Amino acid sequence: MSGPLLEIRDLHIGIARRHRNDEIVRGVDLAIEAGEKWGIVGESGSGKTLTMLSVLRLLASPPLSVLRGEIRFDGEDLAHVDDRRLREVRGGDIAMVYQDPMTSLNPLLRVGRQLEETLKAHGASPAQAQARTRDVLRQVGLSDPERVRTSYPHQLSGGMIQRVMIAMALATSPRVLIADEPTTALDVTIQRQILELVTALQASTGMAVLWVTHDLGVVASLVDKVAVMYAGRIVEKAHTTRLFEHPTHPYTKALLESLPGAGSAHRSALHQIGSTPPDPTRLGAGCPFRERCPYAVDQCASSEPALMDRGQGSFAACWKEPSQW
Amino acid sequence: MVDVVLDAQHLTKVYGARRGGEPVRALNDVSVSLERGRTLGIVGESGCGKSTLARLLVGLETPTSGDLRIDSRQIEAGGRGAARALARRIQLVFQDPFSSLDPRMTVEKVLHEVLTVHSLHEGARGARVSELLAMVGLSARFATRYPHELSGGQAQRVAIARALAVEPEIVVLDEPTSALDVSVRAEIINLLVRIQDELRLSYVFISHDLSMVRHISDDIAVMYLGRVVEQGRYDQVFVTPLHPYTVALADAIPVPDPRHERSRAAAGVASVALRTEAVAQGCAYAPRCALVQDRCRGAVPALSEKSEGHRVACFVALDESR
Repeated sequence: MSGPLLEIRDLHIGIARRHRNDEIVRGVDLAIEAGEKWGIVGESGSGKTLTMLSVLRLLASPPLSVLRGEIRFDGEDLAHVDDRRLREVRGGDIAMVYQDPMTSLNPLLRVGRQLEETLKAHGASPAQAQARTRDVLRQVGLSDPERVRTSYPHQLSGGMIQRVMIAMALATSPRVLIADEPTTALDVTIQRQILELVTALQASTGMAVLWVTHDLGVVASLVDKVAVMYAGRIVEKAHTTRLFEHPTHPYTKALLESLPGAGSAHRSALHQIGSTPPDPTRLGAGCPFRERCPYAVDQCASSEPALMDRGQGSFAACWKEPSQW
Repeated sequence: MVDVVLDAQHLTKVYGARRGGEPVRALNDVSVSLERGRTLGIVGESGCGKSTLARLLVGLETPTSGDLRIDSRQIEAGGRGAARALARRIQLVFQDPFSSLDPRMTVEKVLHEVLTVHSLHEGARGARVSELLAMVGLSARFATRYPHELSGGQAQRVAIARALAVEPEIVVLDEPTSALDVSVRAEIINLLVRIQDELRLSYVFISHDLSMVRHISDDIAVMYLGRVVEQGRYDQVFVTPLHPYTVALADAIPVPDPRHERSRAAAGVASVALRTEAVAQGCAYAPRCALVQDRCRGAVPALSEKSEGHRVACFVALDESR
């Protein structure tokens, strides 16, 4: 049976508060095929990072917990695998690169040792681990792998550290790479290099890549498909070019318009989405975007739309088709 | 005559040689000037000295050498009174509003404190606080909130209100939108443009987000390792960049258009040197530069005018007849 490589089905995540359990991810469905490149886009609090963390069972529990839903990797239900298998998958089949590289490495250990530990945990001998470490450091464009290997994290620049993190993620030849805002802490020219690096590595290894970001502009060039999250749900899913040219959810449209592009006149008012995202724990009935939506109608206040097929591979959770906006 | 509100000439900042290390020249002979009511954008990557420049401009630190004038009056270093007088005229807004607001103070108290320190609006401070909140687009109900009860955008509005409380002429904005979500950035930028026009403020806008700098600035200075390498009107710098570093920066701006980006990604370049090593002599950008020539390693090119108002520090760019 061949299904998607990574499948998230009806995922609900809750956060325990003093007297109640609030749902902050509310039914996410995502199917990633082998080798696909996805952008998972949303504002802070939209649930994008929690969704990704739950894939590897890395949610801080308590207070966070998966309320229901399934996460399948290559057909295997990750919620029910034992710890040994989970460790194989985590950092083995599915690897993750985090936003702030400086806090992801132990400052007291040499970079090489940290990389080799990962490999040894996944069954390599010390000699194999060392050789593989040199290989992957070279692969991520670090010209002097031996020097990097024997350095402490503080001796390397932010861009180098993020390359080390990518090397660490790649060392086990994962089939899925989750990159959670890996470039936000970096300078623009370094950011571009890292984006190009991952794209090149993706092309040579054929792994699937999930870019998690709040900035649609950054992922435009990198991904085949985009899932836009808002208030704990996916509100639009589409092929990248389609999404940019014909957004089918008003939130996506607003996000695209808020970017200062070559088209916006100097110092002219940028499009702003207005008000603030809703508190995901106090949503009530209706579409969570309605307060900020210029096209909202009565129906939007009474019931929340599910993802609906908008044709040409686009799905949007909106009661109104773009032609009615 | 041009009305220059802020003029910095030949600012240099050297941080001391601790534990026998080499002294760091964070800022090297930087001259910038700001016309009243306009915005000067400062761009560059971390370590280029842009935040050091911000701290010198607002008097948080004193330059090792150089000259700073506000309204043609020289700013003297030292003394509490001098610092307070300077604070009345020039204010700084930081990148992360949460770490620049006291978590134990309500919004009201934050603003009240500034007014008290500067003995402003005595007897009418409550009214002034409401006025300041309204100015940054926050309703009166925010007055009693604590920072943790605010969103990133709201907190940055409070930080802006605090800067405006002393009625400054100049506001230095150090990465004011970098810590915010994309959807909130537009709001803050729109707010800054609006209050600038209303209050005739002059801005120094420091950022590595080039698309925002290009959007808001009238003039732009590009910095690299402590020096200004290119300077001009915003359109000169971004439409016809002269310095190879500016060209690289402009190229790195993500363009929110999948088709455009794909063509560029396809032509993508291999990795380049990651480290910005201090060079003993010659142009600091030479190790990363694609157009580097022998002479670049021998001497530092001076910032020189290429066309009217457009200056660049690059031998190659200055030679080319364009």
